[in-house]
Amino acid sequence: MCLQRIRRFHFARDPEEALSLLDAYGGRGALLAGGVDLLRMPPRTVEGLIDITRIGLSYVWGAQGGLVIGATTTLTDVLLSREAAVYAGGILAEVLRQVAVPPLRNMATLGGAVVSAHPWADIPTALVALGAEARWRGEKEGRAPLEELYRGAFRGLFRTALLTEIVLPPWDGAFAYAKIGRSQYDIALLNACCGVGIADGTVVWARVAVGARPWRGERLPWAEEALVGRKTNPALWDEVARLVENRIEVGDDRRASGAWRRKVAGVLVRRALAQAAERAAR
Amino acid sequence: MRISFDLNGVSQHVDVEPGEPLISLLRRLGMKSVKEGCDTGDCGACTVLLDGRAVRSCLMVAPQVQGRRVLTVEGLGTVDDLHPLQRAFLQSGAVQCGFCTPGMVLVAYELLLRTDDPTADEVREAISGNLCRCTGYVKIVDAVLLAARWKREGRWR
Repeated sequence: MCLQRIRRFHFARDPEEALSLLDAYGGRGALLAGGVDLLRMPPRTVEGLIDITRIGLSYVWGAQGGLVIGATTTLTDVLLSREAAVYAGGILAEVLRQVAVPPLRNMATLGGAVVSAHPWADIPTALVALGAEARWRGEKEGRAPLEELYRGAFRGLFRTALLTEIVLPPWDGAFAYAKIGRSQYDIALLNACCGVGIADGTVVWARVAVGARPWRGERLPWAEEALVGRKTNPALWDEVARLVENRIEVGDDRRASGAWRRKVAGVLVRRALAQAAERAAR
Repeated sequence: MRISFDLNGVSQHVDVEPGEPLISLLRRLGMKSVKEGCDTGDCGACTVLLDGRAVRSCLMVAPQVQGRRVLTVEGLGTVDDLHPLQRAFLQSGAVQCGFCTPGMVLVAYELLLRTDDPTADEVREAISGNLCRCTGYVKIVDAVLLAARWKREGRWR
């Protein structure tokens, strides 16, 4: 770590003080929660660290079938929470077990993962599929679907605003997550999160998101449309897998080729859909 | 700035730089079991327990432990009075060069605080973030399972 430039460290007592300190630094301060990204690669401009782990934003609440998760809740605390374990077929625990390794999950926060939003990350793909909403405080309070934020200038927003919580809506169905990395805990070469609701053997809603393409996870609305109203069976998952393989936008990076990603995207979507449907039918 | 925290059961009141890595502070305080390997949180050699949970001390700054409890292996056992988990590592042949051992012991200790009957897969997951270039991990898994058995048999102090 290269932290010689850090001149001051503050424990914010509440969100207002955190925002006031951030404003006072005028771009030379940074909010610190888990620190896994920030302290590994601290920006050269940062002189002041503002610790936000003690301002009351660590919680997981069940809310009418949905979930409300405070931004500074560690991934381990989400993983261990009873509310998260039963949400949408246990999707959060399934995803988080594949994020990093236990000691890093003890440090990293859900809010940090949302704000860092690395293109290869598992969590943004899952949260976009789940229809997560981000809530924040800045000059004024704000809320927006994460999917929408990620299409806009969210990095600019969180330079001056404080992400306070992530809200996950209830789903009458189940989700599943599929990922390929070099090892179980490695960052994804490609990931997919799919959800389905089933009534009388027919898909009534569907969510399909694919990430690390090598870009951040996004929904594939045309794949979702291809599922709704159809009878669930393995042939349908195969059909959608072929559709994904043909239509998905993918690219090359030093970790994998676009051609490989195109092929694998169909495979991961098929696996996640089949698993989600099996869970939804239980 | 001055911070206060509990290190291995002893209150500490120390002056630190705001950007001083926690690993530097701990080594400055004599906790030489805390090793600097990768400095990026990947290898696990700098692992310590913070309020009972394993964290990377290379990815934290010292002020973050204000008011909290830090445990290193120096607080687990001594050369003359090893903790049963440390004895299990010795008995199982899980220690070779020793560089990774303190981190391995601490992530295993965290696991065994939660459960005294882990599966081999749970042990593998617990140690998955700690790299060992000597043992091949099999003996380490054996050691943690042995320590768990001793715990179930009431042989932990």
